[in-house]
Amino acid sequence: MKKQLLSLMLAGSMAASMVACGSAGSAGSTDNSGDAAAEDGAAAADVQSDDENTLTVYAWDENFNIPALQAAEKDFQDVNPDFKLDIITQSQSSDVEQAVTLAGQAGDYSTLPDIVLFQDHYIQQYVTNFPDAWQSVDDADCDWDGLGAEKLSYSTIDGVHYGFPVDAGTAIFAYRTDLLEECGYTIDDVTGITWDEFDKIGKEVYEKTGKYLLCMDGDGNDLFYMMLQAEGASQFKDGEPYFTENQQLVDVFNVIVKLAQDNVLYLANDWSDYTDQAIQGDMVAGVYNGNWIIPTIEQVADNSGKWEITTAPTLTGKEGYASNGGSSLYITANCKKADLAKQFLAYTFGGGSAADGQSTTYDEALTNGGVIGTCAAAAESDVYQQGVAYFNDQPIYAKIVEYTQNVPTVEQSDYHYSARTQLATALQSVLTDGVDVDTAIANAEQQLRFDMGL
Amino acid sequence: MEKKRRGMTLANKQLAAGWLFLTPATILIFIMSFYPIFQAFITSLKTGKGVNIAFANPLNYNYSRMLQDSIFMTSMKNTFFYLIIQVPIMLVLAILLAQLLNNKDLKFKGLFRTCIFLPCATSLVSYSLIFKSMFATQGLINSVLMNLGIIHENINWLGTPATAKAVIIIALIWRWTGYNMVFYLAGLQNIEYSVYEAAKIDGASGWKTFWYITCPLLKPTIVMTAIMSINGTLQLFDESMNLTSGGPANSTITMSHYIYNQAFGQGVGQLGYTSAMSFIVFILVGILAFISLKVGDSRD
Amino acid sequence: MTKKKNKSMIQRRLIPTYIFLTICSLISVFPLYWMIAAATNESIAVARGSITFGNQLAVNFEHLQNAVQGTLWSSMGNSFLYSIVQTIFTLFVCSLAGYGFELYHDKGKDKLFGIILLAMMVPAVATMVPLYALISKAGLLNSVWAFILPGIATPFMIMMFRQNSRNFPPDIMEAARIDGLPEWRIFFKMYVPVQKSIYAAAAVITFMNAWNAYMWPKVVMSDNRAQTMPMFIANISSGYTVDYGMTMLGVLFCSIPTMIVFFVLQKQFAEGITGSVK
Repeated sequence: MKKQLLSLMLAGSMAASMVACGSAGSAGSTDNSGDAAAEDGAAAADVQSDDENTLTVYAWDENFNIPALQAAEKDFQDVNPDFKLDIITQSQSSDVEQAVTLAGQAGDYSTLPDIVLFQDHYIQQYVTNFPDAWQSVDDADCDWDGLGAEKLSYSTIDGVHYGFPVDAGTAIFAYRTDLLEECGYTIDDVTGITWDEFDKIGKEVYEKTGKYLLCMDGDGNDLFYMMLQAEGASQFKDGEPYFTENQQLVDVFNVIVKLAQDNVLYLANDWSDYTDQAIQGDMVAGVYNGNWIIPTIEQVADNSGKWEITTAPTLTGKEGYASNGGSSLYITANCKKADLAKQFLAYTFGGGSAADGQSTTYDEALTNGGVIGTCAAAAESDVYQQGVAYFNDQPIYAKIVEYTQNVPTVEQSDYHYSARTQLATALQSVLTDGVDVDTAIANAEQQLRFDMGL
Repeated sequence: MEKKRRGMTLANKQLAAGWLFLTPATILIFIMSFYPIFQAFITSLKTGKGVNIAFANPLNYNYSRMLQDSIFMTSMKNTFFYLIIQVPIMLVLAILLAQLLNNKDLKFKGLFRTCIFLPCATSLVSYSLIFKSMFATQGLINSVLMNLGIIHENINWLGTPATAKAVIIIALIWRWTGYNMVFYLAGLQNIEYSVYEAAKIDGASGWKTFWYITCPLLKPTIVMTAIMSINGTLQLFDESMNLTSGGPANSTITMSHYIYNQAFGQGVGQLGYTSAMSFIVFILVGILAFISLKVGDSRD
Repeated sequence: MTKKKNKSMIQRRLIPTYIFLTICSLISVFPLYWMIAAATNESIAVARGSITFGNQLAVNFEHLQNAVQGTLWSSMGNSFLYSIVQTIFTLFVCSLAGYGFELYHDKGKDKLFGIILLAMMVPAVATMVPLYALISKAGLLNSVWAFILPGIATPFMIMMFRQNSRNFPPDIMEAARIDGLPEWRIFFKMYVPVQKSIYAAAAVITFMNAWNAYMWPKVVMSDNRAQTMPMFIANISSGYTVDYGMTMLGVLFCSIPTMIVFFVLQKQFAEGITGSVK
């Protein structure tokens, strides 16, 4: 009733303008939206395909995730030659989140595609807030054990599987070995060290070469999360912020302050400053981030062969393993071809084809997009085992899959990015306004509690 | 008698026609602006996320929460800072340029006018990209200043609160001065040249002529551009989002940007709270627009 | 002789003005020059702030054509379609309203106009979710209607037309009425033809706003086949690694139509604005 009244009013106001508009209206009337208003769900036709072998998916990043999805489409066509994957490009991950939020608020999920790529850190709360937007994939024919436990901990909600992993997000620490060498160090000298030792080396590197041994986007500062995870610790405890009482967090905070003050750490203003100026502008001798940063490093052709990767330093000097970023594929409630979708995802990203010995999906995702999966079976392929010239012929992909197995599972929160923002803000206030570290951390905790409504 | 009746129907017809002409626009504005803002007000009384949204207890929960939200307060301070610094500079510059261009003896008028107007024809996405790369640490501005010997170390323009704010203001002035100038230019053309001649004969200086003759005659235009600029600045979003991402440490974030972050940006999805904040923005713009109307109340 | 001398003296006195205006013009145009130069460079040169022309134009163009599943031209087409439809509807609806408000004005209509002006202050971010729900419920997502409906009637445009309508002499209307012309024909036959310049000014502003709109189209146009140029640019300019040369070429493509519209309608634009600030 309400709906009808609404379309009637809209149609009425449009008609009012059309009638008198005469010839001028013809430009608008070429569009078929007159029918769209009458026929419910017509809009969905645009993001849903009538063809029974076609699935639609929202994804972002033409140089990363989208080649991976194209590889999967090709892979699955071996099983189902008529299969087609219709990829709808979004500018960034938040576009997908926005689409789900809007559809949820409008109470109409028919605007969603069959599958969406979704950020790992967000999915838990989106399943909680919009339970009707998703379909469980628990009954898919998939060997979950081979997909990396830490990675699956994001897409499993209350013990039910909702998603298939795409990229691992396992952190790497990449160093310019030529610059280290100038200061008399090798890659082994920076493996399994403490942050204090790292700071000492970093100061030397900056003095001799003028380059920073570490850099990070100061706006979306992921160092806190990664450094804590490498210690096996979290910013949260029992669903609440765990800052001031958390000695490891305080220590990590102090380390970062010291690194920045010693010119060992360069804090970029934002993401593009980080990738374009710091990394590609050749300002740094070291990069610590999720492995998806590798294609960015590789943009500078002149530095080929000069980089190598290893694990991160920790507070205690053990090798640090962490994970940052990464996303998974989820089937929406609007998918009417759920069986096909499950079959497709289980065969490709679920490792089905890899287990059959021909992992087109993971191999081509890696070669075309630089996407490194978490699938253990895929890691045995030649593509993963080969040495990479840019990284001095290190078999970096196999190494990364090996790191993945060691990443500790730590407590996650819906407020992951709020925590990140508050800690980044606290760090800036210490560095630029000279606020005392303890006060800054206390403020950050208070602000985060405020955000969480605690 | 008969004539009178016909006259009445004609008047009725006219009355009906008048209202009919307004109808499409009025209906659209009510559906597309007033209905959503009413909805937003209802939502602003609710709390919770997604399907768990429900009326807050107490109802003004979101509004009282705002007062304790230090980031919202920062964003409000920033927005007003932009308003107070940028709008006057831009409008004065626009009047000055219009005044210079409104000279009978000036050549290449069209060329100058076109050049100065061009920035507002560029799309937002592109202009933020351009400014970001120009003010990057190793960007053009720094290398020019270095080569001129004005600075000896690269300035981190977008990474220092004061300079980041300055860059946003410069970007806004660059983009919108020409737009406002066109309105003033038009206003100046409505002033009869004889008025100036008379002033000249009376021996008034250029400055006096401008202050006592041009400005009062331009008043309606000034009020209009002021309201447009106040409205645009209070709803400022793109520059904060694209140029500085609100950083460093929220020092450049605007109200609209913070609202967007709370609604979509960080996956927090607090729609009740964001509706409450945007309702406050609505009221603030209304108050300021009302004040500027009252200040310039010589119209009609 | 003296006249000539007088003229050159005036020009000499204007030298500071010329210098100042030249500087302002250069500052205004420089970023556009930079955009064109960047479109001919490779990504890393752009990121490093090169201001000279490079030789990568062809490569960038090829990349641009292949980006976002090769939707460059369809995005251009969509932007043209939406912006033109938007302009036609806005001009029609708003001029009608402005005409009605001014030439048929009475107390009731003046009050209504005041209320409508309030809509100018409604922040976009506040209405996004309810408006989306409205459009979604009406089944209009991904259609041209979703794009244009919220922007057809804007208080600013109505105000512009209302101001301009003051130049339209009521005597003409009376004369036409005596000739037995119906009200709507007075509007079409008499009002529209003499108001060409204000229509041009309104067209420039509406077209520019529609062409550059980003937030709202992004929300309602979820399909790549329905995307606009600014969305296309956003799609190629974010991601872990950005090809800046290609992006700037895209930005250039995106800027050309609005500039052409402005150049073509420039004279009428200035005249139209003149009428609206009377």
